[in-house]
Amino acid sequence: MSELSVNHLLGIKYLNKQDIQLIFETADHFKEVINRPIKKVPSLRDITIANLFFENSTRTKLSFELAEKRLSADVINFSSAQSSVKKGETLIDTVNNILSMKVDMVVMRHPNPGAGVFLSKHVNASIINAGDGAHEHPTQALLDSYSIREKLGDVKGKKVVIVGDILHSRVALSNVFALQLQGAEVMVCGPKTLIPKYINKLGVKVETNLRKALNWCDVANMLRVQNERMEISYFPSTREYTQQFGVNKDLLDSLDKEITIMHPGPINRGVEITSDVADSKQSIILDQVQNGVAVRMAVIYLLASKIKQ
Amino acid sequence: MNILIKSATIIDSKSEFHNTTQDILIENGVITKISSSIKNPKNYKEVKRDNLHISQGWFDSSVSFGEPGYEERETIKNGLKTAAYSGYTAVAVNANTNPVIDSNSDITFLNSKASNNAVSLFPIGALTVGSKGEDLAELFDMNTAGAVAFYDYKKPISNPNLMKIALQYASNFDGLVCSFPQENKISGNGVMNENITSTKLGLKGIPALAEELQVARDLFLLEYTGGKLHIPTISTATSVTLIKEAKKKKLDVTCSVAIHNLYFTDDVLTDFNTNFKVLPPLRTQTDIEALIEGVKDGTIDMVTTDHNPIDIEDKKIEFDHASYGTIGLESALGALQNLFTIKKTIEVLTKGKTRFGIESSSIAVGNRADISLFDPDSKYTFSKADIVSRSKNAIFENETLKGKAYGIIANNKAVLNS
Repeated sequence: MSELSVNHLLGIKYLNKQDIQLIFETADHFKEVINRPIKKVPSLRDITIANLFFENSTRTKLSFELAEKRLSADVINFSSAQSSVKKGETLIDTVNNILSMKVDMVVMRHPNPGAGVFLSKHVNASIINAGDGAHEHPTQALLDSYSIREKLGDVKGKKVVIVGDILHSRVALSNVFALQLQGAEVMVCGPKTLIPKYINKLGVKVETNLRKALNWCDVANMLRVQNERMEISYFPSTREYTQQFGVNKDLLDSLDKEITIMHPGPINRGVEITSDVADSKQSIILDQVQNGVAVRMAVIYLLASKIKQ
Repeated sequence: MNILIKSATIIDSKSEFHNTTQDILIENGVITKISSSIKNPKNYKEVKRDNLHISQGWFDSSVSFGEPGYEERETIKNGLKTAAYSGYTAVAVNANTNPVIDSNSDITFLNSKASNNAVSLFPIGALTVGSKGEDLAELFDMNTAGAVAFYDYKKPISNPNLMKIALQYASNFDGLVCSFPQENKISGNGVMNENITSTKLGLKGIPALAEELQVARDLFLLEYTGGKLHIPTISTATSVTLIKEAKKKKLDVTCSVAIHNLYFTDDVLTDFNTNFKVLPPLRTQTDIEALIEGVKDGTIDMVTTDHNPIDIEDKKIEFDHASYGTIGLESALGALQNLFTIKKTIEVLTKGKTRFGIESSSIAVGNRADISLFDPDSKYTFSKADIVSRSKNAIFENETLKGKAYGIIANNKAVLNS
């Protein structure tokens, strides 16, 4: 039976193409499961998972918890908007305290880039990175690719533009790695102040004109502006941002082709996309959410099967 | 102290015995005889080592020990021992202590703590009170007590008018003002060099621009004020160019580079290893090449280890939270010998003294013995076993180095490893 090449999911850049293929095939199975009348399988009855969220999260946390419960894992939750460091306890100590209660797997969201990588070197548990600062958010990128595959048949050869705050976005970075690994072409689009200066060295196109970007792409992944991560203003006003980088129905209808609209949520309606775009048939935003559970089930299942060996 | 050094190759371009192998007799701390073969009738202690080389004592212009206040990082006693075993006879010690060294009595404290040691400690006083960047510290008074320079360690003076006044004021008594080359608003919350690696890692970047703006600003100020400016630890190619041009204009400016900035690019950070978290950050191959060229052509006056012991609690944490800094004394020779010829290595290890007003003593009969002893060729993998420092944050851990110090003879004392 095939297995993942890694013992943790710390980022897309640590995966290979076969890993993604395996995750998707496994997710296909779980997607079928969660659409049954009995949405649960007993696969992980002997596994205990701790969800450690050192940063606010609603949807990712719910999605992971649901995925874990549908696999019949035991679940404990720990949320703290403050990082452990501020409370005087180190991250390693916090996690080791929880692990000493016999926990097998840790799902962690953390404000600092590399927190998952760091933890994986110092504690004895399988780690899933649920977002670490502006570094990676691998399950989001996996579910995004999975949703593109579902909608368009394949990721390979597709043109995907990621629009918005690229600078502060772990979703953008993980998506770049995931899409490139599967043979898609990637463009980023946004105000120059929110695009990392050296991102073109990753082999992505950079565009500051939204219309040009949308005319180029098959899929547009609209990101939220992460005001909470900005220490200064990167643009003068939300109004002006929307004028340049918001997608509305008129713009969408004026394009040469019908593109697919994605959004990792939460949506700021009227800012990066208008309601009629978010709710249009071109939008697969809610499919992404459903696929998120299936993809996370697949990741947890595949990593747990490595623990059991 | 009386010692007979046997068969040592002398590397000292100021000495008539340069590049020759000699026996050296030292009596009461003074070199009394140099000859190809000296007998030992008085049964002095003999020093014989494999491939023994000696040079004038080495000097490091930027060393941090932590005491007072951060003794968990390093004490003055063990710090000086580290310097001695690493081949250094003189170190300029930064004011990044708690409290900050910013008064005459603080300087006197350091001097008394380090007295009677083989290694000479030269205190650097803070430029501003508490290194807060607001008001000038009592520079003249500290100078009187023995401060060799004035520097708010790694803290840039954001206010250009304050830097202007500092340069003007210190020039009254020929004081050396140091300015950390970083424009803080541009560097922001950056924790590593801004480039492809920072982009991949999602870590905030410090653009080379942050350094270059500050260097350019300080050179403009120096041109206006006169006085003596030292820019510690530059890290970018453009900084080298700017300083080269300033020297052509005959501005009284010197600069240093940290050895690790000559050695590693930011690629090594891929794994979020906090031992590589240093300030200024590790840059690119282009920068390294320009810096090495700058050392070779003399634009960069001296190299420093920028030795900064950090205890494990401040390193074994998330990258964003980890402290900047690496120890470097122990690995200095071994790293430099991988980059430069022996002649250049010794030149950059000794040349900085003049700038900091520290006397040099070449290897000649009648001079006081101020000597570093080493094997420039031995190859080894640098490991924790090579660390004398209290803290083990070594950027060179696991690197293959070339050259190892045996110790020093200075201040009428010998500190030599077996």
